[in-house]
Amino acid sequence: MEIPFTVTARKDTGLYNSKVGIWLFLASEVMLFGGLFSGYVFLRVYADYPWPERVLPVVPGLINTFILIGSSVTVVFAWAALKLRKWNQFRIFMLITLTCAAVFMVLKGIEYKAKWGHQAVRMDDFVILEGHTHPAGIDADGNVFHVGGHASVEDHSDGPHYIAAKTDDAHGGDHHAEHGPAVKDFRTNVVVFDANELVINLETYHEGVIGGILEQSEKANSANWTLVQPYVGRETAREDEQIILSAGAKLSLENLAKAREVYLAAKANDSKVRTKQLSDAWAKVKDIPGNKERPNHELVQDENFKINEDFDQFLVSPTSTVTFQTDEPITFVLKPREVRESAESALLADGSSLNGQLNTEASAIEMAADAIDFTFVAQRAEEKGVDPLAAVEKTWIIQNNPQVAAIWKAHTEKIAKLEEELLEKYGTDKQGNPKRVPTEKERYRITWQELVNYGEGNEEKGVFSGFAGPDHTKDYAKHFPEVLVPREEVNLETKFTPRWNTYYAIYFLITGLHGLHVIGGAIVLGYFLFFGKKMYLNNPEHLANRVEVGGLFWHFVDLVWIFLFPVLYLM
Amino acid sequence: MSAETHAEHAHGHDDHHEPGFVQKYIFSVDHKTIGIQYGIVSLLFLLIGFFLMMVMRWSIAYPDQPLPGWLSMFFSDDWKAKWLQDGKVTGATYNMFGAMHGTIMVFLGVVPLGFAAFGNYVTPLQIGAPDMAFPKLNMMSFWLYFVGGAIMLASFFLPTGAAQSGWTNYSPLAGLQQAEYPNQWMTGQTWWLLAMVFLITSSLLGSVNFITTIINLRAKGLTWMRMPFFVWAMLVTAFLLLLAFPPLEAAALMQLSDRVFDSSFFMPSGLYSKTLGALEVSGGGSPLLYQHLFWFLGHPEVYVLLLPAVACVAEIIPCNTRKPLWGYRPMVWSVLVLGFLSFIVWAHHMYMTGMGPMISTFFQTTTVLISIPSVILLTSLIISLWGGSIRFSVPMLWATAFIPMFGIGGLTGLPLAFNLVGLHLHDTYYVIGHFHYVVAPGILFGLFAGVYHWYPKVTGRYMNNFLGHLHFWPSLVFINLLFFPMLVQGMAGFHRRWYNGGAGYLAEAGNTTNVFGNTVLEYMHLNELMSTAAFLLALSQVPFIINVFLAWKAGRKVENDNPWEATTLEWATPTPPGHGNFTFEPAIYRGPYEYSRPDHDEDFLPQWHEPQQPEAAEKESKSAQV
Repeated sequence: MEIPFTVTARKDTGLYNSKVGIWLFLASEVMLFGGLFSGYVFLRVYADYPWPERVLPVVPGLINTFILIGSSVTVVFAWAALKLRKWNQFRIFMLITLTCAAVFMVLKGIEYKAKWGHQAVRMDDFVILEGHTHPAGIDADGNVFHVGGHASVEDHSDGPHYIAAKTDDAHGGDHHAEHGPAVKDFRTNVVVFDANELVINLETYHEGVIGGILEQSEKANSANWTLVQPYVGRETAREDEQIILSAGAKLSLENLAKAREVYLAAKANDSKVRTKQLSDAWAKVKDIPGNKERPNHELVQDENFKINEDFDQFLVSPTSTVTFQTDEPITFVLKPREVRESAESALLADGSSLNGQLNTEASAIEMAADAIDFTFVAQRAEEKGVDPLAAVEKTWIIQNNPQVAAIWKAHTEKIAKLEEELLEKYGTDKQGNPKRVPTEKERYRITWQELVNYGEGNEEKGVFSGFAGPDHTKDYAKHFPEVLVPREEVNLETKFTPRWNTYYAIYFLITGLHGLHVIGGAIVLGYFLFFGKKMYLNNPEHLANRVEVGGLFWHFVDLVWIFLFPVLYLM
Repeated sequence: MSAETHAEHAHGHDDHHEPGFVQKYIFSVDHKTIGIQYGIVSLLFLLIGFFLMMVMRWSIAYPDQPLPGWLSMFFSDDWKAKWLQDGKVTGATYNMFGAMHGTIMVFLGVVPLGFAAFGNYVTPLQIGAPDMAFPKLNMMSFWLYFVGGAIMLASFFLPTGAAQSGWTNYSPLAGLQQAEYPNQWMTGQTWWLLAMVFLITSSLLGSVNFITTIINLRAKGLTWMRMPFFVWAMLVTAFLLLLAFPPLEAAALMQLSDRVFDSSFFMPSGLYSKTLGALEVSGGGSPLLYQHLFWFLGHPEVYVLLLPAVACVAEIIPCNTRKPLWGYRPMVWSVLVLGFLSFIVWAHHMYMTGMGPMISTFFQTTTVLISIPSVILLTSLIISLWGGSIRFSVPMLWATAFIPMFGIGGLTGLPLAFNLVGLHLHDTYYVIGHFHYVVAPGILFGLFAGVYHWYPKVTGRYMNNFLGHLHFWPSLVFINLLFFPMLVQGMAGFHRRWYNGGAGYLAEAGNTTNVFGNTVLEYMHLNELMSTAAFLLALSQVPFIINVFLAWKAGRKVENDNPWEATTLEWATPTPPGHGNFTFEPAIYRGPYEYSRPDHDEDFLPQWHEPQQPEAAEKESKSAQV
């Protein structure tokens, strides 16, 4: 059986099947990206925070635009070569197309990587700090120290540099040598918690979470978790109670699984017993003459509706939590997102809780800031009718960090000068107001170029820019101010990921989906290139049709980028 | 060519090599096998969805009573301990079953049955194509659907249970649901989204395939206005799926990102949850955006559900009244207009969101407009019955019942179109009653009609007549007892998401200050009536299940290839049709519904019968269609 019109066009429609198909598919793709773009419009129009404008590096985006346009041309050449039955020419053009796709994805990858390594902090007073957190480690005693090597840490010596320690004498740099290797390297954006008690909920605990705790405990090497109270239980009332886990039992996933099994069986048993009690009570109350006709909600309040409590002897009442303790507290380094910390307890993601002491010093975020942004502070102040400058002066960072306060002072002077310049250049309108004033972004955001200029003592703005934003490995990074933000001042901290704000969320979603289309399209075109020879020899027109269809898709991918680039990068 | 000769051809036809069992029945590329696969799987999903609903109905009618054994026998002891409280349905469990009932019925039951199963089996036959335009893509559609359905079902067995935020999965509710679980990839709410991505992809590929097939593979002489109405309806349905589903895919991806990457597409600023406290997300997102994207699909989806059922009924009525479909051309134009309008009515689901009177008025106007083509369709079907010598075969029973049932569903929708009334009735049982009248006794009756109608073509045997009646009459009675009281309760203010049927609102006897409590008391007795009707309705489906299996092996064999003496092209194939469908090159000479032509001896003139002499009546018959 042959499907008609797979290669040749149908007379009245003038199309072969896959061409109809691809146009329809592209129509649905238009709706998909249309949905995403209307999402963008919606989010931007209704944003209640300063929408980030022109925050993406334009250069890689621009290069990518030309690369995609170029590849759309070469894919047409490849198709034309097939139509002319020039196999080698087809191969060359298709190869160029695929190379373009690869370069595009590499540039995209560089851009993404810069975002994923870039830390953002929104403080409780809505100051926004951007920068890089410092690498650090923790030794066997639970002392947190700098691993060093960061360009902006000027005083780094050869040894590790302790930033917070349990004991005062740990501050000496040479102390570290006695205690063996660092447990774990991390960026100084963690919750450090010294715990000596762990309460686990048998129903909700999660192997991954407890496994992570166990792993860290083992590396700490200093102590072991042991069960405080024996876990006693039975699965049904027919059995005698047994000690499932004796007091002093070690914390392990196997032990927990054992206890969970008994717990769940006992719970199922109790549920069955109570269901039976309830069913019997209903049967009895319905047996009473005249009750069958009465509505249930009356019966249930009736005095005749009685639960037979004799059944209670069959209940086995399991306890739902087990508590483990250690003699010596163990220091845990936890990801901020996976824990809800307070001074004396840390609630883990699965409902288990660590009890002990929060190490507030080590839990602070320490970073080299490459941008300090007060636009959100100013926007909120204006909404409330407060003077935005006063609001900025009152923020925690200006009050507590002299370096930042000095930079802010220099910045306000620069803005005052800029205001004058604009007035001089453009004059005033009829009401006497200046025609041009500095933008909100100029006023309240201190960019990384500006920070470097201050550091170098430059009055004028430098002309350098990073390929994908500020580069902390470059020498100029030493001018980025050091900030230490206590965790209780932090409202939201994250890398530049979809989590940071809705702009980055839609940016990653649209460009990510577009990237997947590029990869998908490249795979299909690559298939024609590397596995198309057989079809070329059998039925070259069929292959040409396929390349045409693939090329149409490729054009669509290009078209999406042409919309996407100005919307996300330039506007 | 007469029908008898086709039957002889049926066996000599397969001269190529015989495919193996797996290739023939499981990974088949034959549109008929795929159609049957869709049909069986979707009927199973309908059964599962029905079961979930029975558990919910028990909880509504008897909130204080443990689930009876015949409902709870499917659950394990551990599952019951976790999800039932002393054997009673809890609020969380009710939410889970409610969300999954809706999802399964809409996305895994009715759409695959109406569009995918009937569409796949019948469309290529009716247009004289050997198969779909892209057979492998067709197979892929089915398996994507299967995987999506499997994920959906598997999510019941996750530690968090399945999705619990209604079938619409509104954010931020859906974004917060099960957020306390450590691994967000392993929550039911996330799996719902993953499953939807599979189902949406399946629908997209399917609709591309359908449209291409209809545009490019029509037989010789099958011009647009000679296409059976069924094919037209499938074409419009495919366009709706093609264009309406992608925005939901966008919404699903955004919600997925909200769940697993903690983004804030749909999370407003300052969100606080009882279990999680102040959320550690950026905020600044828009819950309204989700509703727009969802209902941009959600409303066309209603017509995706409906049109295949209308399509089946429009085939069955002329065949059983033995006269042409009344108003074929207006029906075609109506269905096109309906398809277009269905894209611009979505926000009538959102009157409560406070999007502003201007927008509400616009959508109110378009919503009222869309009733015009709907009424044309229904009226044409009614007039088609007029003056016919109706054969009340089982498919015809279902088809005739479809008309008033769908009529009730449609007319009860009119008040909801109006902003003011909509505000009052929003989220009440009135809405539930309205759309269930459309979907259950409306659409499902139409689809049942289709099953009984095309079963002889699929298997070569009739379904049992007595069992058919035993299926139809109780279903008709109980389904009305189930859904009509909902309209009454809804107008009294019963909320659609009460898991205990309103027991929480009851007034003490004689307490006249609790006005709403007294109203609830007045209408609550209807709960038991409706639930009993639901359980009996389930019982009434047993004859159908028996019938499907019994008739497959032991049903009465069809006398020829065209047992209903119908005019459309699917009846020109051997029974059951072999691979490649036709034993001759099909050509079309006339419109689809040439019944009882005065110039013809028989009371039907099939589309494929070559005219003996040049047909003078051709022009006249055309005007007769209109």
